[in-house]
Amino acid sequence: MSMRRRQFLTAAAGAATVPLLRTRARAQAKPIRVGYTMSATGPYAVGAGITQVPNYTLWQEQVNTKGGLAVKGEGRRMIEFVTIDDRSEIETAVRFYEKLATDDKVDLLLPPWGSAMNFAIAPVAGKYGYPMIGPTAISGKFKELALPYFYTMLVQPAPQMQAVAALLRDLRDQGKIKKVAVAYVNDLFGIELNAATGPAFKAAGLEVVDTKSYPLGAKDLSPVLRGFKDAGADAFVGLTYPPDNILVTSQAKEVDWNPAVFFTGVGTAFPFYRDRFKGAEGVMGIAGWNPKVKFAGAKEYFDAHVKKHQKEPDRWASAFAYASLQILERCVGEVGLDRPKIKTMLDATEFQTVAGPIKFTKGENVTTPGIVGQWQKNEFELVWPKASSTGAAVVPKPAWA
Amino acid sequence: MAQGLVHRGRGGAEAGLGVTLSPTLLLDVVVGGFTTGGIYALVALGLNLQYGLMRVLNVAHGEFLMLGAYVTFSLHTGWGVNPLLTLLITGPTAFAVGLVLHRLLYAPLLAGGAAESLESRSLLLSFGLMFVLQNAALLVWSADLRGYSYLAIPLRWLGTVFPANRVLAATIALALGGAFYLYLRYSLTGKAVRALMQEPEGAQLMGIQTSRIHGLCFGAGIAMSAVTGSLVSMLFELTPFMGLPYTVTALVVVILGGLGNMLGCLLAGLLLGLVETAGVYLASSDIRLISSYAVLSLILVLKPSGLFGR
Repeated sequence: MSMRRRQFLTAAAGAATVPLLRTRARAQAKPIRVGYTMSATGPYAVGAGITQVPNYTLWQEQVNTKGGLAVKGEGRRMIEFVTIDDRSEIETAVRFYEKLATDDKVDLLLPPWGSAMNFAIAPVAGKYGYPMIGPTAISGKFKELALPYFYTMLVQPAPQMQAVAALLRDLRDQGKIKKVAVAYVNDLFGIELNAATGPAFKAAGLEVVDTKSYPLGAKDLSPVLRGFKDAGADAFVGLTYPPDNILVTSQAKEVDWNPAVFFTGVGTAFPFYRDRFKGAEGVMGIAGWNPKVKFAGAKEYFDAHVKKHQKEPDRWASAFAYASLQILERCVGEVGLDRPKIKTMLDATEFQTVAGPIKFTKGENVTTPGIVGQWQKNEFELVWPKASSTGAAVVPKPAWA
Repeated sequence: MAQGLVHRGRGGAEAGLGVTLSPTLLLDVVVGGFTTGGIYALVALGLNLQYGLMRVLNVAHGEFLMLGAYVTFSLHTGWGVNPLLTLLITGPTAFAVGLVLHRLLYAPLLAGGAAESLESRSLLLSFGLMFVLQNAALLVWSADLRGYSYLAIPLRWLGTVFPANRVLAATIALALGGAFYLYLRYSLTGKAVRALMQEPEGAQLMGIQTSRIHGLCFGAGIAMSAVTGSLVSMLFELTPFMGLPYTVTALVVVILGGLGNMLGCLLAGLLLGLVETAGVYLASSDIRLISSYAVLSLILVLKPSGLFGR
């Protein structure tokens, strides 16, 4: 009797706790808080608004539509962003990342936009043990510092410039170009790429007739371009940032210079660039991706991006920004929100993403090769390396539109 | 690196810096300086009018340039209006906006305070205005780079080439600046403005209406900034944050030329453009800012009232 009574009580208590447990389970599935700062104002706002923000918000929307991010052992939890405008000020970003880690105690951190910004916050990631995958950071210094929790998605300066050198050597051997001229922006990005350019071009036996630097925010690059033109350069390599990228392109036309190869840096892969220069037919630049690549989900990603934002993703880092989130999603799905475990998985796994297979070695994506793109009939065709190209390089480039 | 400093292929005598000086190079520098300086002169003229007359340091001056540029961009890309025609829209509109701003914000603020507090008050107000305008532009046009091509064609002259749009923009800027200078010099209103600048109390005693002249000058200053913006939009990409560097350059020009001195301002603008361009051609693009600040420091040490100041 007493036994049965106890059994009854247990059963009753059990029955009573079922709804309780369920409400608690629901309450426990509170959102995953993901923190980051983004430059909504200031000089970095242009790049951030094109390459990074649209991918963060697209991913958040897609995941939340599915009911949230699958966390190992917990089911799905909605994603909530904790974010602020860092006004393109590095110290503001660093302070806010410190706050996100110590005060808000967010579950995950996403990186801000740009090499200099990522460089500044990467140590914060290490200090508090937050794995961060930087989609818009390009600097050889990341490798030197060997920051344990920071990962870079983009091809870094040396392999990128080696790819450019290989393409130019190929063109020289075909007799299509002879003399190369290099201009670079005096900012971390330009300085590092230029430093990688020297050895790469030397190894390729290219004749560099002139190398010039100019400051960020330059307003007139025609003296530089005219110097190159007079020196008889027929291949221009500009290691540029978005505003001066546009400037150097429009001024090349204005000083009547149309070299066989016109290669520029950050911004060339933006659809904005193509539209600004009536197709920008024949202009080459650093590339990473286009919707023609054969990787799973690439086309779907392109379409979803266009649908949500009414604009195309850029042809360099956008897909890598999205891919960094795919990687994070897979890690959380397999090991949960335990950050050291996420790091272990990041170090050991090859990930399949919309930007292709990605494997990190000492925090650097070593799978993606250095890629050169060229605007051809409204698509940024990947023309180098030949093995994974989507089109053949057109040299000499057609006249300016 | 030393190789990078050599200006190549222009034939002629080697100058001290390892630069080959030749008539074409000289022409490049002079025309290049003129195209940069013309823009500087016009934007500085507007600031000088406000600062010289009212001691209102309008930090938001460049923001009106930015707005002028965006309006021209929108009219040109949206409705196909010729960028030059948009000057007729941006100028008068900005003038009206300036009158209203002066009436609603600056006049009450500046009325009845001690002279020393005027500058700091107006500075605070214009800082606030700067943020409001920047963020308003951000909401309307977003942070994306915007721009269009207009007259982006080479202009051949004496064996060298110049961008047609730059030469045109600078010519218009200088023509407007010169016309305004002549207006100040010979019209009755212009004389009243100059009287107020030189001797505020005396001018008031002679029956000059201070508040009216102040409003007109504030409006005219903003109109000049907006018109410069319309011209600049033909040359550079636009962002909501493009204004501040122009405010800084304008301030340098105003100090160079002498506070309240309009002719000095025009000449100082041209001089600054010339110095910067010469620096870029003879040494490197990296020294553009260094050379302009070197000139400023030199003037401040040798002649603190400005090159053409009394």
